Amino acid sequence: MGTEAGLSAGRLVGRPVRRREDERILRGKTRYLDDIDPPGAAHVAFVRSPFAHARIGGVEVPDALEGTFAAITAADLEGRVGDLPVQGIQGGWVAEQGHPVLASEEALYSGQPVAAVLAESRALAEDAAELVEVDYEPLEPVLDTRASDVTMSRWHKLSGDVEGAFRSAAHVVRASHSLPRLAPVPMEPRGAIASYDEAEDILTVWVSAQDSHRQLAGLAKVLDRPEESIHVIVPDVGGAFGSKGVPAPETVLVALAALTTGRTVKWAEDREENLVASYQGRGVEADVELALDADGKMLGLRARIRADLGAYLMPTTAIPAHTTAMLMCGVYDIQAADVEVVGARTNKVPTGPYRGAGRPEAAYFLECTVDVAARELGMDPLELRRRNLVREFPYKTALGWTYDSGDYERCLELAAELVGPERRSDEERVVGTGFGMYVERAGGQFESARAELLPDGRLLVRSGSSPHGQGHDTTFAQLAAERLGVGLEDVELRFGDSEEVPRGVGTFASRSVAMGGSAVVEAVDALKEKCAAVAARVLEVGEDEPAWGEGGSISAADGRTMSLRELAAAEPGIHADARFSSDLSFSSGAYGAVVEIERATGSLRVQRLVAVDDAGNIVNPLLAEGQVIGGIAQGLGQCLVEEAVYDEEGNPTFASFVGYSLLTAAEMPPVTAAFVESPTPLNPIGAKGIGEGGSIGTPAAMANAVADALGGIRVDPPFSEEKLWGALRKSGR
Amino acid sequence: MRISVEVNGQRFEEEVEPRLLLSDFIRHRAGLTGTKVGCEQGVCGACTVQLDGEPIRSCLMLAVQASGRAIRTVEGLAPNGELHPLQRAFHEAHALQCGFCTPGFLMSMEAFLREHPEPRREDVREALAGNLCRCTGYLGIIEAVERAAREMRGADVQGG
Amino acid sequence: MKPPPFEYQAPASVEEALPLLGPDSAVLAGGQSLVPLLNLRLARPELVVDLNGIAELDYIHADDGVLRIGAMTRQVALERSELVRERWPLLHKAVRFVGHAQIRTRGTVGGSVAHADPAAELPVALAALRARFLLRSPRGERVVGAAELFVGPLSTSREPDELLFEIEVPEHPAGAGAGFSEHARTHGDFATAGAAAVVVPGSHAGIALLGAGPVPARAEAAEEALVGGASAREAADLAVRDVEGEHRRALCGELARRAIEEALG
Repeated sequence: MGTEAGLSAGRLVGRPVRRREDERILRGKTRYLDDIDPPGAAHVAFVRSPFAHARIGGVEVPDALEGTFAAITAADLEGRVGDLPVQGIQGGWVAEQGHPVLASEEALYSGQPVAAVLAESRALAEDAAELVEVDYEPLEPVLDTRASDVTMSRWHKLSGDVEGAFRSAAHVVRASHSLPRLAPVPMEPRGAIASYDEAEDILTVWVSAQDSHRQLAGLAKVLDRPEESIHVIVPDVGGAFGSKGVPAPETVLVALAALTTGRTVKWAEDREENLVASYQGRGVEADVELALDADGKMLGLRARIRADLGAYLMPTTAIPAHTTAMLMCGVYDIQAADVEVVGARTNKVPTGPYRGAGRPEAAYFLECTVDVAARELGMDPLELRRRNLVREFPYKTALGWTYDSGDYERCLELAAELVGPERRSDEERVVGTGFGMYVERAGGQFESARAELLPDGRLLVRSGSSPHGQGHDTTFAQLAAERLGVGLEDVELRFGDSEEVPRGVGTFASRSVAMGGSAVVEAVDALKEKCAAVAARVLEVGEDEPAWGEGGSISAADGRTMSLRELAAAEPGIHADARFSSDLSFSSGAYGAVVEIERATGSLRVQRLVAVDDAGNIVNPLLAEGQVIGGIAQGLGQCLVEEAVYDEEGNPTFASFVGYSLLTAAEMPPVTAAFVESPTPLNPIGAKGIGEGGSIGTPAAMANAVADALGGIRVDPPFSEEKLWGALRKSGR
Repeated sequence: MRISVEVNGQRFEEEVEPRLLLSDFIRHRAGLTGTKVGCEQGVCGACTVQLDGEPIRSCLMLAVQASGRAIRTVEGLAPNGELHPLQRAFHEAHALQCGFCTPGFLMSMEAFLREHPEPRREDVREALAGNLCRCTGYLGIIEAVERAAREMRGADVQGG
Repeated sequence: MKPPPFEYQAPASVEEALPLLGPDSAVLAGGQSLVPLLNLRLARPELVVDLNGIAELDYIHADDGVLRIGAMTRQVALERSELVRERWPLLHKAVRFVGHAQIRTRGTVGGSVAHADPAAELPVALAALRARFLLRSPRGERVVGAAELFVGPLSTSREPDELLFEIEVPEHPAGAGAGFSEHARTHGDFATAGAAAVVVPGSHAGIALLGAGPVPARAEAAEEALVGGASAREAADLAVRDVEGEHRRALCGELARRAIEEALG
């Protein structure tokens, strides 16, 4: 299954190759941001607002304390730096509410950075930070989107005859859903180290990030420096899940501090900061209406989506809710749709992309509504889906995107077959089954790669993608090695250093194999062409004559051969660049869950979970399955225990793991993961994206399984014992 | 205070403040950064090392408390270069992705398998609950521990 | 998060330790509760008194049928003790729920008692067993029961200059069964509710609830009822009679029932 080679597996591509990156991790030889200890560095601690909303009268820093180098407030930043930029949403509107580096006149969320102290050690910096006096005038916080009168993003699309669809419908089904905020919680918090070489005017920044490109572009913009004067290095990264994409305000501060003090400056975020100040995921509600005819054919859809964006627009804050809106028709053939999304400001930390970034929300809102419809129509939820699935590709959706390929029906049938639906009720427990389908956007924009021959004949590939656990070093090596006809050991990959890799887009949105992998393939192909030309010249044969053989050797018709080493010697530094662009491709899937709820306590047990994902051609089934299981754990976390709750004063209750739970190994249910492969025509590998499917399909399937167990009562996550116990009693089931 | 701590058989003598955590001593004074810090609350387990062979949270011990004691970290698992069966099993079973939590898991599970060489799956899952992972979803880790247990018992040698 | 600065002393005996205790000092036992508070800067003692060098506080033995546990006994030692497993099975069952193995390696029995977290397993089990707690200060010694020791969440009647030095557990009644159950959101997480029970049908019952109130308290009405022949369900219902919140009461009641059923064998 997941860890066996696919049907179309080649020598390496499609095989469950074990990872080359493992050994140094297993031996403890990694270097994450905090493992880097520049001697004499100044360590940063931030003064953060303890209020969700407050006017700031003034900031007084203590007189020079032993071991403290400097204190930085917004006043020190004036004229030197602007707010972080804000990315727009296509076809929509976003406010100009960029996140300031340090709060100046007001603090708008608890945990917002107000000042920074630099000292000899983190402990000393924290000591000094406690002595910074900030004159706060607390104001009333706005904690509910309904109470907010500040809109920060808006998008609306009306397509097809929606009025007509609803007017002529035999059934109009209405359902409202809510997904609370989640904290991304990578095991490694954020961090940055900056160092300024005044003589060369080069700012070097090490940052725990999802790629060097967005960090570099962001820093250049906010610091108003030319990009060539900034060198970004991404070391080993301990997970990100979307939270380390754009530069954090703290990272900008660290860079500025290096520029102004001439010291090397280090910020290693601690867990409290990470929970409180790192942008969060989800935090969206929707009212959905589905119009159906008497046979259960979906005629039209309306959705009003309300997103809790938090206090500011981080560069990518507006994007997830927009993605949700674009995917509201999901896997169904609905050509009349009216979808609006409004993003409201609240006095909480901003939201932003977090594993799934809008797709889990869309799948959740739609799939839950479909099950409500099935119940109201008295139809089997699987049958209702079958009657409406998109079956012909490419498929242009009413909301704007075009699905390239897929086999939604096959995914659904396979999920149903593998999960073995169950529904029971006895004195002690109730059991239910639910399904959730999804379609998700993957890839898009472009990605870069450079393929070079090293003097010893080995291949060096520099990639714009940037791994933080996904295994690109192995996956891309598989692609490159197979393309060139060499072994994995003959391929070296380089990532993450802005001076070592070509400018690219980065790793997020399930894009790396599709885009980064394709760029690698194209770069290797282009290199092969150049090498062939060299061989033709050296062997003195016609341009089209040299043919590639085993082990990366190339031969003339008469059998004379050049090895890669000889080619490299003939043209030292031979290399080829590729910049691969494509439209978005669309992965999809069907998830099924069987859950059991204990009457006495409301305790939920997941009996089994099935994941059927279609991410096109799978390059490494072992790693792909790892992504699915990891995503499932996060999706289950959302369902069972995770929720970022602010109290009535707007203070986080999740400042430590006592207030925010993560699932452990003991909670994972049996999982069956299977792949359907509908290759995409959009790239040479035929691959889509698999990084987020687990977190997208799981909540929808779980919610539907819970509702099934409860006899139709709908509950939003997290499915706490209290909620389920109460619902079960109400259900009379 | 002057302290002397043995880590992986090597002695480190340093002048430290009482408030210096053992995790910071190991990482920044002994320079052994294989041990990671994920929460400083004793919950995530990334900082797990062994004190006289028993697994502990190094973020919940003061460095001064370790003076005169022997600590083993992930760097001490494969001293002669050859990987420990657990390390090999993690690799085979794809039990790591970003790797940040991995040293903590290895140090916890090495101790667990020494005490429970023939664990049931339920025991393995419960023992693993003391370490958090945000990437893998744990199933690969469960498999790795079971695999390593079999290998360490010699079961695999007989093809079992 | 790094701790604020503090002075540190590591006395080698109880005699050396006593003069160091006071309102401005914090006792460092296993560190599994204190150090997180130091790291979050929620505890800011001037002096940390480290008891880990006091060997005389680390023991488990039974004299005349009474179990005596030195306050610095590691939770893992309690877990591994054959003596405890055979003769005080409730303690063996309860300690296995404490956190994770890594916590139990350092965490101490006395530390858990003195910290008095309402979600902690050992205080509840000890309460059910009618344990007594020995406190010593320069002013002398005193012995208190659970009801007198645990006064509120994270709060005991131990004076700042007193050292908890021993936990005394009376003989488990002959033929007694033991049961412990708890509920936590994830395995090893702080318990949200739980119950400890030790029962000899018809003659003895010790039942204490975790998370049902501000302190681990014995459910005396339930104990009497059980001795009087009530069923596990009836006794459990009595035990949670005053728990607020419908679901909370149902959850606590179910856990109490399970613990009692387990004790009844």
